[in-house]
This record gives sequence, structure tokens and C-alpha cells, in this order.
Amino acid sequence: MEFRPRNYTVEEESRSLDRVSVDTHPLSPPSPSHLQVDVVDHGKSDFYDPLRGSDANVMISLDDLQEEDNNSAVNEADAELPTKEWTSFKKFLMQRFSGSKMVSISPMSDVIMKSGQVREKASTTMHLEELDDPQKFAEDGIKVISQQVYVSRLHELKDEINRSWQANDRVTSLALAIKVARLLMDTSVLQFYPTLFVLATDVMDMVGEMVWQRIKQKAEFSEDGNVICSLPENFEAKDIRVDAKETCSNWFFKIGSIRELLPRIYLELAILPCWRFLVDRPVDVIQRLIMMTRGIADPLASAYCRLYIAHCVQKLPQQDTGYLIICINDIKILLTRFLSAEESPDGNFSERSKSLISLMEPTIEYIVKCIVKDSYQTRAANILVELGIGMKQTEFVGKLPCISIILHHFLKELPSELVSSNAVEIFQLIESSKDYSFDQCLNYRLLGFRISESRSQLDIVNAVVDKVIKVASEYNSLDEFLKVVDAYVDIILRNQMDNKLNIILDGIVKRACNEGIAEIELINLQSIFLKLLAHLKNLEDIFSLSHFIEILDMMHGSARSMVNMHILNMATRKGRIHDPTIVQFLFEVSQSLHDGMDHSNMKYDDSQQPARLISRFVTMVDYGPALERHLAFLLECRGAFGGFNDLKETLVHCSNCLAVKAMKDGENHTSYVKSCIAFSEVTIPSVPSCVKQLNLYLETAEVALLSGLVSHSDGLLDSAIFCLQTMDQMDDLRLPSDVDWILSFMRKLCSLLVLVPGNPQQGVTYILRSMLALINSQSWVSSRARTRVLCAVLSLAATLSQFDLPYHANHELVLGNDCLFYGDPIYSQELLSLSASILQNLVDNIIQEPSQVARGSMALEACNCIASSFNLAQEVLPFVSKLMETAKSCLSSNDKYLQSTIKFVDKFSST
Amino acid sequence: MSVEIKLSRSNRIYRPNEPLEGTIVTKSPSSFSHSAIRLTVNGSVTLQIRGGSAGVIESVYGVLKPISIVNKSVEVKSSGRIGSGTTEIPFSVILKNPGDGNLESFYETFHGADISIQYLVTVEILRGYLHKSLSATVEFIIETAKANLPDQEISPEMVLFYITQDTQRHPLLPELKSGGFRVTGKICTQCSLSDPISGELTVEASAVPILSIDIHLLRVESTLLGERIITETSLIQTTQAILIADGDVCRQMTLPIYVIVPRLLTCPTIYAGPFSIEFKVSIVITFASELSKLHPKSDPRTPRQWLAMESVPLELVRMKYFSNSVNIRLLDNVPDSNLHLDTFRHASSPPTNFHMSDDIGLD
Repeated sequence: MEFRPRNYTVEEESRSLDRVSVDTHPLSPPSPSHLQVDVVDHGKSDFYDPLRGSDANVMISLDDLQEEDNNSAVNEADAELPTKEWTSFKKFLMQRFSGSKMVSISPMSDVIMKSGQVREKASTTMHLEELDDPQKFAEDGIKVISQQVYVSRLHELKDEINRSWQANDRVTSLALAIKVARLLMDTSVLQFYPTLFVLATDVMDMVGEMVWQRIKQKAEFSEDGNVICSLPENFEAKDIRVDAKETCSNWFFKIGSIRELLPRIYLELAILPCWRFLVDRPVDVIQRLIMMTRGIADPLASAYCRLYIAHCVQKLPQQDTGYLIICINDIKILLTRFLSAEESPDGNFSERSKSLISLMEPTIEYIVKCIVKDSYQTRAANILVELGIGMKQTEFVGKLPCISIILHHFLKELPSELVSSNAVEIFQLIESSKDYSFDQCLNYRLLGFRISESRSQLDIVNAVVDKVIKVASEYNSLDEFLKVVDAYVDIILRNQMDNKLNIILDGIVKRACNEGIAEIELINLQSIFLKLLAHLKNLEDIFSLSHFIEILDMMHGSARSMVNMHILNMATRKGRIHDPTIVQFLFEVSQSLHDGMDHSNMKYDDSQQPARLISRFVTMVDYGPALERHLAFLLECRGAFGGFNDLKETLVHCSNCLAVKAMKDGENHTSYVKSCIAFSEVTIPSVPSCVKQLNLYLETAEVALLSGLVSHSDGLLDSAIFCLQTMDQMDDLRLPSDVDWILSFMRKLCSLLVLVPGNPQQGVTYILRSMLALINSQSWVSSRARTRVLCAVLSLAATLSQFDLPYHANHELVLGNDCLFYGDPIYSQELLSLSASILQNLVDNIIQEPSQVARGSMALEACNCIASSFNLAQEVLPFVSKLMETAKSCLSSNDKYLQSTIKFVDKFSST
Repeated sequence: MSVEIKLSRSNRIYRPNEPLEGTIVTKSPSSFSHSAIRLTVNGSVTLQIRGGSAGVIESVYGVLKPISIVNKSVEVKSSGRIGSGTTEIPFSVILKNPGDGNLESFYETFHGADISIQYLVTVEILRGYLHKSLSATVEFIIETAKANLPDQEISPEMVLFYITQDTQRHPLLPELKSGGFRVTGKICTQCSLSDPISGELTVEASAVPILSIDIHLLRVESTLLGERIITETSLIQTTQAILIADGDVCRQMTLPIYVIVPRLLTCPTIYAGPFSIEFKVSIVITFASELSKLHPKSDPRTPRQWLAMESVPLELVRMKYFSNSVNIRLLDNVPDSNLHLDTFRHASSPPTNFHMSDDIGLD
């Protein structure tokens, strides 16, 4: 048995491709002309270049898909937007106010009580009871049931209405629907009201739809079912038959004679679209319904009633938002009265009132949305006039000040150009609306955000910012101050109002010094700082800002970490960091980031981002020629950032880099390199992942070899092998990917070993034998991995047997094995005996593989390896033929790998 | 064996100059013979006097002799046989011959408390002396023919009113007297039957919170009894009150008054010789007080201390055209003595087998 002699220089020359210089970078985006060439290529061969892979076809189809998406979205939007919006709005309402569990029932809601106990009370006895003890009666009248029971009863009612309708008992349907509408009169359980509203209006909508269909049917079909006409979508009242009209008016007549106001309005709204059968533009009707709603004094009930108006009017084909503006104005009057009545002398506002306002808020939000949406182009200016903008000061005096919560929603919905161009007037509106329905400073804040949405005239912006800062300066609380100024930081930065920025920072420091920074304030402070960082692109600019660092030091918690991360991110984006002050600053920032995290119970994902940023910072630091200082810096980092495991890896890389850099300097830095390697060697064991340790050992050993430190590299390789041996004791090694990493490490190790001079004391094949022992003893090594390692070791043995090695360590002190053991028979004998045992091992291993396909390809791999390592003489041939047989039995004869291997083996066996 | 009348119109409304049309439907398991099928149309004004402002003696009289409007009988078929199963016999009766003189005597259908104007059509199948004759009766509704209405436009009339503590003639709660209130508005006093009673109302001020504001529709039925006119004012049942304000509404906000005129229970205002039918509309404000809590329903029968009210006469008319221009006059705030002196009484419609429910119209 003998190794095949190789001449690597000749082989390289004969095999390597001709190198041609090119004009363009292969990774640069292909120019159009290139694309064309590609297409031609595409036709000819099945070669696929992944770098130029962005196939034109794929791109087009993607675009198509997107377009289709858009189209369908548009179509749906046309037809179903209001319905969809309403559905999601209802969901939102139910979710937002789902607090109360129990609902008290007033006698009015007797429809909910199934037993009918309440109803059975004769009116006379009721009367007597009233006179006897009114208090007692009041108590008795209220029953408490759970919300769930209430809701399920409502669902039952809905079914009942449906059933009676199907049974042509429309009178009962209507009677029940009126009862359901009556429930809305009871606002005693505030939190339950929105849910009640949603459920009851569901019933109203259903009834409305049924009546609509019924009358439409009457208009289109005669009594005996013959088609009379088919109404077009935009029919007019004159198209409707007298009979149908009559039925329709009867419905309105019936509903018009409901005694209670609220049910009468709800029912008429439910069948509002039916007015179209009678008149062409039921504008008067809408107007009247809105006016009628004024008769409901309960603020909650009337606000939700107006919400239902806004919803129902959208079912009509022509829409006019004028009526909605009246709605909002009515709410405004109602709120003005409510707020002035509820405000206690000490200026506080009761909890109940607060929750009432929050319950009314969705109705305002929805109505305002409808107004702005419908009148985007035509009536936007009118809205402003309604709000009181664009009026002369004298006209303005008589008007009620705007209610802040209504103003808030207008401000939220108005188109941004309109907000920008009227910013000063809006500011004045906010200034004049100081009530308890909404926090004034949040309106200032919203104004800021809205202004920054669009580019606006400088003079307007200046004026508003001036006024806002004046207003904000009067706040004592840091929270309010921050809430307001946060919204304006973007505008200030964009327009370079540096002095304003300083006023703001001053203001923060002044208030923070007094009372510290609370958790809630940190959020806004963080937002301000992130805006500053996003705008200022240089650390130097930050240093030049007064108080920046002072405020940063006052911050804490996650906000601080967030700001720290952004500073690091910004600082490490601009290339290497040389300035020692900046390095020091960033080091402190990193330290605070590191210390701000709770390392004991933190998920890996949470720490990843900070760790990556600090790693990046460490990598970017560059002390230039001050190598000693740099190493000391790494040492400091290792001490300071012990909590981040990933960082240790970076530190090892950095110290290895330093060592290489020192070597390249050419001067004699041996002792420095030694300390770098020592640093690495000490640091590696603290890296938790075995696989990473292995790779770091290998990397460091390589550096040691490069600098001629053979004993160091021997030590490092020993540690690596030791690490490998102790690996099974660790639990983190059960993933298939880990096994792949270890396989790759072993193969890498084999290629490094070509350089490493054999150690005469341990025997030249010491490391190889350790590896073989390892892979045969460890259960986690898959048979595929084992095959590959065996092949790698076999190739290595064959390589080491050559008289001239393919590559050498680039250092005069490190001699290759070809020099050390040239022609030594014991040396080659040892390699051969090792190889012989590997051969047997290899074949045994492959035959045992259960999977057929894997067995075949492993056999081919081994064959190739053997054929290139040995002269195919007597001793080797049985192995080869055994493996070839295995491969042939496992794989199809068409298999390309099989065919090329056959050719390859044949070529060498014939010689 | 049964018989029924099916009128040609589902709403059963006919005008005096139109023929009353329909079919007589018989259902019988076997064929039978008859001597005649006769159709009788009968329209009359029923007058009734019950207690109230009438004296004890008058009330004994009870029902006065009804005033006949129309009574005619036609033979649809002379003697013959009717086959088994369902048989439909169409008919057409002329209600009023063109030469019959003044059309005004055809009053519109009205179901009141004491006065009832009703039109019935009865079919009778005579089957000789041995068998009971079959019969069925149906009420139909008379509305004044459009063609007979005056051609000129009538402008609806509106009256401006104001209600304060000083316009009330009944005792008020002391806090109402001292605190004061002022509700103003306008309401129509002449109104087409096909239109709602409209108007508006504004609470300008009120020291005491308002509990509710209702609109009541009242009918004033007068009967001539000998030399005396006996007048009854009663609430119209179905729309006895329409709430237009529920709770203490905002001041200075205009609320609409919109009350639909109920069919059958109203008719054009009539001043006939032996009787008259007039209408009134009342605005009743209920103020919140300990006392009013005990009486949840506002009840204008007795002017309570926590109520304030104003009534205006309402002329209902059947119109051909209705002008858009409105005549508005100021209500002279002389308290309506009639309203307060009269006893209010819940009116019940006269018992009739042919009472038409307005629910039918929903189908």
C-alpha cells in the first residue's frame, strides 16, 4: 500500500482556470445589456448563477400579484367600506368597554326579564305600592342580572323578531323591536352602554333591512308574485307603486306614534332608507331627526343616538355632511353644559364624569371621521368655519369655546395641509378650550405631530413653535412639558431653530432636577432623545448640545438603554473610532447599557441587540499604533461587559486581529503577540458555546502559527481536542446543526494540521488518532459525519506523506513536516498504518448505514478520497471495489456522481 | 257554508264619487239555492252622551238617534244557485249618484269617543224561510274626494306661543313660581290630514329641571241635545302623548314638534248642525320634583302643580294642495278655559266588530 505522490504546483497550474480581469464587480446590479446576455445564456444551459439570479420573469409576476391585490382592495373599498368600517368600529366599542359584569335592570327594561314577573304587576297595585312606600318600590324595581344573561336575552329577542317576521307577523316584530330600542333609554350601567348599543343597533339594522326588502318587493312584484318592474340602484320615488308607498307610509306612521322619544328616533333611523320610496332627497327628515335628538337630555344616550344617525345616513345614496356638523355642534352644546355642571368648586372632576366622557369619545370620533372623510375636498373649509377658524376675532367672541375632546378628534382627522396652513388659528382654539373633557397639553402635542406631517410655511411654524414653547414653559410638571415639546422637536430640528432646542433642554433639566424623572416621563424623554439622535448625525454635535449628557445621566431603565443603543448605533456607523474621548464616552454608554440589563433572567433575544451594538463598538475602536493601549482596552471590556457572552467572542477576534496587525508592522512584537494570544487563550474558556470555543481555538492557533509560536499553537490545539473530548458531557450538543459545525471544525483542523510541525514527543499522528478515537466513541456523531472525518483524516495522511506539502506556515521558524521528516521511513510507516486502519473503518462504517441513498453517496465520497490518496494497488483495490459495488447497488446507474466516480477510479486503476 | 266580502282596495279607502267595488266570496261544501243576494251600504253618524258635562237626565238618554248619511240596498243577483266550493261574485255599488245634491254630507270616517262616523257594507244571501240567511259586514273608509276639494291653496297656519309661570291658571309648585321658566315655540293650528302636525319649541329658561315635554292630541266632540250643546274633550288614544323632550334638555336649543295625525281617529274638522268635531293640541311640560316622581306619566287630565301647559285649537283639513308659505300669528295667551273646565277622560272607541286595526297596513 502506498500513497499517491502528488505535485501540487503542477496540479494547480494545470487545473486552475485562466484569470481574466473584468470591468464590473460581479455583485454590482446587472445593467440592462447584461440582462439580455443572461437571457440568451439561460436558453443554452441549465447553469444558474445565483448572483445574477433576479430573473426578470419572477419580478414581473410579483408586480402582477401586487397589482391584483391593489385592485381587489380598491373594488372592495368602493362597495363595502362603510359596512366594514362600522363592523370594525362595533368590535372596537365592545372591546374597549367590556368592564362591567353585572347589569342592573330598571323596570323599564322588563323585556329582558323573561319570567314576566315585572310585567304581571297590575298597574293598580303598582300605583298603590308607589303611594305606600316609594322608596321601597324604587329598590324593588331594580333587578340585577349578569351581563351574559342580558346579552343572551338580546340575542333571543333578535331571533324572536326574525321568527315573527318570517311568520308574517310583522306587528309582533315591530313591537319587539320597539322594546329593544327602549332598552337604550337606560344608561344606568355606564360601562355596559356601548355593548348594549351595539347589540340593539344590530337588531335595528336587521329590522330596517327587512322592512326595506319587504317594501322593495312590494314595489317590484305584484301580489300574485309577478314581476312588475325591477328597480334600478338609483331609483326615484316616482318609480314606486302606490301600494308600496302606502305600506311604507304606514310603517312611518306606526313608528311615528311611539310614545317615547328615543325608541321613536331609533326605529325611524332603522328604516331611514325607506324614505327613498316616498321622497327623492330626504334631507328634511335627517334634519328633523337630528333636531329630535336634542330632546334627549341624557348625554350618553343622545351621543350614541347621534352615532347611530351618522351610521344610518351613510346608507343613503346622496350624502351631505352638513347635518353631521349640526350633530357635532349639538354634542358641543351638551358637553359645554355638562362640563360646567359637573365641575366641582375645587376644579376636580368626578370619576363618573370622566368615564362618561370616555364613553362618549368613540361617538365623537366616529362622527368627526365621517365629516372629514365625506367633505375632504368640498367642505373642508366649511368645517374650519364651523370650528371657529377663519373668523374674525370679533365674530369669535360670541361663540362657545370649542370642547377640547371634539377639537382633538378634528385635529386628528383633518387633512394635514389644512392643519399646517391654519396652525396658528388652531393653536388659538386649543388655547381657548380649557375644559376637563380632554387634557389640553395632549392637544398641543397632537398639533405638533400634525404640523410635522407636512412641510409648512416657515413663518407659521415659527409663530406656532414660539407660542407653544411659551405655553409649555408655564407647566410645572415635567410630564406635561415633555408631552408637549416632544411633538415639536422634529419641527425644531428640521427648521434649525437651535435656540428653541436649547430652551427645551434647559426646561427639561430644570424640571428634572426638581423632582427627578418618573417612569411615565421617560417614555417621552426617550422619544425626544431618539429624535435628536436621528437628526444629529455626529457625536460631536451631541457633545455640543447643552445638557444632553446631563439629562442622559438622569435617565434610567429601558428608556436609557434605548437611547444608549441609538447612540452606539449612530457612533459605529461612521467607520473606525479613533478619538479617545469618544471611545471613553461610548465605553461609558456601553457600560450603562450593560449594567442596565438584568442578566440573570433575561431572554437571549433581549440581550442580542445591545450585545451586538457593543460588539460593533468594540470592533470599531482603533487606537492606531498604540497597540498596548488597545489590548488594555479589550481587557477593560472583558471586565466591564461580562454579562454578554457574544461579546467575548468579539474580544477574542479583536485580540487576534491585534496580534496579526502587530506582526504585519514588521517590527519585533513577539512579546506583544504573546500577550494577545494569552488574552485570547484565557478568554476562550468563558465563551459558553463549545462550537464557538473550538473555532476560536483554531483561529488563535492559526495566529500563533503565523507568528512562529509553535508551542502556543500546540497548546491551543490540545485545548481544542480536550474541549472536543469533553463535549459529550455538555448538554447543548444535540442539534444536528451543532454536529455539522463540529464536522466542519474537524475538517478545518485537518487542513490546519498540514502546517503544524509534528510533535516528536507525542507522535506525529497524535492529534489524528485522538480525532479518530473521538468519532468512533461518541454516539452523537452521525455515520455521514464519521465518513467525512475519516476521509478528511485519510486525505491529511496522504498529504503529509508528500515530499513537498501544498502550503506552509508563513514564518521562518515554523518548519513543515516535509522538512522535518523528509524521507523518514518511520514517519511514513506511521501514516500508512494509520491509513490502513482508517480504510477498514471507513468501509465498515459505510456498510452499516441503513439509508440506501446515503450509503451510496457516502461510498462514492470514500472512493474518490481513496482514489486520490493511494495508488490503487493490490491492498487498496478490494476496498475500492467493495465500495463501488455498494454504490452501484444503492444508486441508479444514471447518477452523475456515480458515473464520474467510475471514470475517475478507472483512470487511476488502469495506470 | 260561509260568505265574506273582499273589497277591491286593501286599504279600504273610497271616495264618495267612486264606486265601491269588490267580490262576494262564498264557500260551501255543496251547492245551494238562494232567493237573492243583496248588498246594503250604510253610513251613519252615531252620537252618544255619557255623563260628563251633560246632565244626569241627558245621560239617561244614552245613544241619540243616529244620523243617516247613506243607506242603499242593491240586489247583486236575483234567485239562483251557487255551486259548491268557492264562488266569487263581483259587485260594484255607486255610493253617490251625481245628482244627489250636496256632497258634504258624506263625512269622512271618524272613530271618536261620543261621535262615530262609520260606513259599512253588508252582504246578505237570502235562502227562503226555511234557512237562515247568510251575511257578512265590512267597514270601509270614506275620504273626501280630491276633486271636490277647494282649488285654492290653503296656507297652513302657525301660531307662536310662549309658556311661562304667568300663563298658567292652575296652582304651581312654589319653586316653579319663584324660579320661573320660559318655553317658546310655534305650532301649526291648521294642518292637512296627510301631514304631520309640525312646529318647534325652545326651552329658553327653567330654574327647575324639566322631566319631559309631551304633545297631546285632543278631540272636542260636541252634540246638540235639545237646546244645549254638550261638549266632550278627550285624548286621542293611540297618540295620547308624544314625548319630544326626555329629561332636562339643553336651553336655547330648538326641538322639533312632529306628530303624525292618526287615521280613523281623526277627520277634517266638522261643524255640522247636530254635532261638531274639533281638535286641539296641547304642549305639556312636566317639571322634575319629588311629587312628579310619584306620577311617572304626565297626565293633562288634571293640571297638577308640577305641570305647565298650553293648548291651541287645531283645524284639520283635507287638502288638494298645500302651500309652502306659512301664516304665523301670535297666540293671545288667554288661558283656555274650556280645556280646564272640561273633564278629561280617556276615550275608548265605540265597541265595534268591524274595528279596523291600523296594524294591517304594515303588510
